[in-house]
Amino acid sequence: MRAGFAALLLAALLFVGFRPVGQLPPVGSLLDPANGVWATARTANLPPLERGRIPGLTRPVEVVFDDRGVPHVYAATEEDAFRALGFIMARDRLFQMELQTRAAEGRLSEWIGPSVLEVDRRTRALGLRWGAERKFAAANRNSIGYRAIAAYADGVNAWISSMRPRDLPMEYRLLGVTPGKWEPIYSLSFFSKMSLTLAFNDGTYNRLAAQAKVGRAAADALYPVNSPIQEPIQPNGQRAPRFDVAAIPAPGPPDSAAMLALAGREPVLAALGGLKPNHNGDALGSNNWAVSPKRTASGHALLAGDPHLELTLPSIWYEMHVVVPGRLDVAGVGFPGVPGVIIGFNRDVAWTFTNTGSDVNDYYAEVVDDTVRPSRYRVDGAWRPVEKRIENYRDQKGAVIRTDTLYFTHRGAMARQLGKWMSMRWTAQEPSDEQSNFIKLGYARNAAEWLEAMSGYQAPTQNGLVADKSGNIAIRSTGAYPIRPGDGRGDVVRDGSKSSSDWLGYLPPSRFPYAMNPAQGYLASANQQPVDPRVNPSFMGSDWYSPWRAMRINELLRKDSAVTPDAMRRFQTDPGSARADAFVPLFLGAAAREDSAGRADATLKRAASLLAEWDRRYTTDNRRAVLFDKAMDELGTRTWDELRPQRDKGTAAQTLGIPESQVLLELMQDPTSQWWDDRRTRDLVETRDEIVTASLRAALVAALKTHGDPSGSGWLWSNVRHANIHHLTQIPALSALRVPVQGGPSTLSPSGGSGREGASWRMVVELGPEVRAWATYPGGQSGNPASPRYKDRLPMWQRGELAPVLFPKTRADIDPKRIVSVLRLDPP
Amino acid sequence: MLRATVKFLLLTEAFAVATFAFGWWAVPLLAFAWAAFVDTRRPVMFATMCATSAWIAVLLLNAARGPVDIVAARFGGVLGLPSVALIAITIIYAALLSWSASVVGAAVRKALFHKSAKDEEPAPAPQQRAGAREVAVADA
Repeated sequence: MRAGFAALLLAALLFVGFRPVGQLPPVGSLLDPANGVWATARTANLPPLERGRIPGLTRPVEVVFDDRGVPHVYAATEEDAFRALGFIMARDRLFQMELQTRAAEGRLSEWIGPSVLEVDRRTRALGLRWGAERKFAAANRNSIGYRAIAAYADGVNAWISSMRPRDLPMEYRLLGVTPGKWEPIYSLSFFSKMSLTLAFNDGTYNRLAAQAKVGRAAADALYPVNSPIQEPIQPNGQRAPRFDVAAIPAPGPPDSAAMLALAGREPVLAALGGLKPNHNGDALGSNNWAVSPKRTASGHALLAGDPHLELTLPSIWYEMHVVVPGRLDVAGVGFPGVPGVIIGFNRDVAWTFTNTGSDVNDYYAEVVDDTVRPSRYRVDGAWRPVEKRIENYRDQKGAVIRTDTLYFTHRGAMARQLGKWMSMRWTAQEPSDEQSNFIKLGYARNAAEWLEAMSGYQAPTQNGLVADKSGNIAIRSTGAYPIRPGDGRGDVVRDGSKSSSDWLGYLPPSRFPYAMNPAQGYLASANQQPVDPRVNPSFMGSDWYSPWRAMRINELLRKDSAVTPDAMRRFQTDPGSARADAFVPLFLGAAAREDSAGRADATLKRAASLLAEWDRRYTTDNRRAVLFDKAMDELGTRTWDELRPQRDKGTAAQTLGIPESQVLLELMQDPTSQWWDDRRTRDLVETRDEIVTASLRAALVAALKTHGDPSGSGWLWSNVRHANIHHLTQIPALSALRVPVQGGPSTLSPSGGSGREGASWRMVVELGPEVRAWATYPGGQSGNPASPRYKDRLPMWQRGELAPVLFPKTRADIDPKRIVSVLRLDPP
Repeated sequence: MLRATVKFLLLTEAFAVATFAFGWWAVPLLAFAWAAFVDTRRPVMFATMCATSAWIAVLLLNAARGPVDIVAARFGGVLGLPSVALIAITIIYAALLSWSASVVGAAVRKALFHKSAKDEEPAPAPQQRAGAREVAVADA
């Protein structure tokens, strides 16, 4: 009896030990104290001394980890350095590297199963892997970029093959999977994924959808090619923003041509990725700025980098310092999965990027020979063969769970819905070699060399900012800007049956937005329209982010003629808001006019009184920012009601976003525009002041309901707005959620919405005789959730502080007290 | 007493080494073998105690070399369990594995013993029978 019970129990224990049960992975290998999840504790701390071997190494490499967890790599050749980087990045971030790659290639279902099949199908339909393969096939095998990714793969695979059971990251255990071999192409796939994040924000859909609802004239004004507030990256000689205010045409009748163009193509655009919800330029965005020696306290050039991306744990960045004596000495951050420094500095120059956000993808309505399985498509009356690609999707056991046939024209991926085919051309899928560009930056000795190193760079288009030791500062919006035929616009769907619809080439670098050592003594970018159209009318995009952040940083830089590194640091989390400066007086003015007309009730008076108390700063201890935040949301919703879908839930129209707040400000100049009329009140025609005050009233009511008394803690900004930094698996226990941060919509450290985006890396560099740098990012160097280095930088990031970056010239220059670990890598 | 202590330490070490070398499944294997093939008193209790002690020792070894508390907190959080519960579950898992395997092992030994006794000695010695009964009673 007892033996029978024991046998049954043993069978059950062995079953759950070996087999996953529901969401639970096999518990045996999980709970095993020697090799299971508990063993990750033994790898959480860096060992004082460790050795490893990497095939292909020509000479030993020494890697010294400082007390911030930053590796200082000392290698004899560049390839050896990249092999070492592959080894140590894999040691710290293997799960992240592989997960990102699988996401970029549409292979998540091999880990997670059929539940993510549709994500994979969409990724592959976009042609991300196809594009990476094109780049890989076209890569010059002798280029530094190719040699780097090949060497890097050697290092990653050396780590994988030398892993002990305890080295397996916790996430692999939770998913019940093991690492696969790392291929060089994975680094290119990662770039494709980054391009999807940064270079896929064209305004085609928004414009078309708005045109279908309110006509072309109104749509053109709501999603303008040029920002109504001109504060461009390339200085235009003005000392203040220029308001190119124009009357916004009243909502017109629905445009049947646009409706026809949309009909059946919404799903196609969705399949090709063109239906991303409208970006909210007030809630996210990157910044960079540099100051000439004549405006700094020390007399040396200063540079600040502040790229904003999705915040994740582990962080998207990995900090490093790479030294090849006599050749390369570069520090900064790069992406796990990619060799080398992307943003950083060497002994002579410092550089950083913001996203340009230009329109670099276009859609073409194609004519095909078969509406179900096309083999040819027609261009200029002649048929061309369609490139077919069979995509197999596999589950965790390797079984094929789905097969798709993908079709490509010479432009790019095609998709079909409701019998219509559309293809997409995207600069990010054209052969290019960005990896070489990024690596060459590390060799630049001055700003001019740095700009030269970026030549040929393609995607995603970036506002590259550089400062050098000689005091030069320069910025150039670099990348491939397609030249389109006709009106040159990229926010329309073009006729694919004509070759005359195709791109005519790319803008030459001489026409890129650019500035070097401007008279104003500083340069800044914040994702705004890069160049004043009066200076350079080339089409580069549309629906640009509102330039509130640019206005704010320029204001701060204009006021300070003796900028210090610490001031640069403070600017990065400055709580001031140009948007608030623009809109608060308008709210208060409208309330005052309603009051003097005898139409203000107690709620409006109280709301106006509370808003007037606000200092227009999004500090964590502020109790009034929440009222403005809600009032702006209300105002946008009430004003743009004409653009809201007509209860057509589930259709693509749901994703149509509202125009940028700079367009709303433009509209505010017209108190009787038809746009102010609220369609829900059929018998009334509202004016601007009525809508503005109604928004303010509603904001107060909502704030009182949600946050309680205005003097209570519920109104504290720290209780309202948070950064939410999710682990890549989205598991809350491994994430850092509800982190109070200074800043709000349109501040230099913008925050909004889900709180998932924010400053991914903050850096200040002083280009003096000895280069000094300060930096941090929200997370830590280790991807091991048990490691003290997993999110050790988060408190500093939250406070807006930066840590001094150790930048020793030689191995001997490192203070032994700051050395935590030494890794010696040898050839086999 | 000394002999029992040494035996306890040796078996505990064997469980720990086997776990390191082969993984968690070495625990039931060793417990089974111990109870089935080693002639000893109270093999089930002994194997269970040694396996449990071995896993506790390995956990302590981990704790000496890294932040086991953070692992417990993070991993426990993933499973929706408090840290202490996760540690307890780990230890209990080792105990149940070794207990069930050694009970099965003891039963096999008993069956084997009876079979071989019947085959080789039609009339087993009273002392041997008493010894066999003693094991069974002690483990009951």
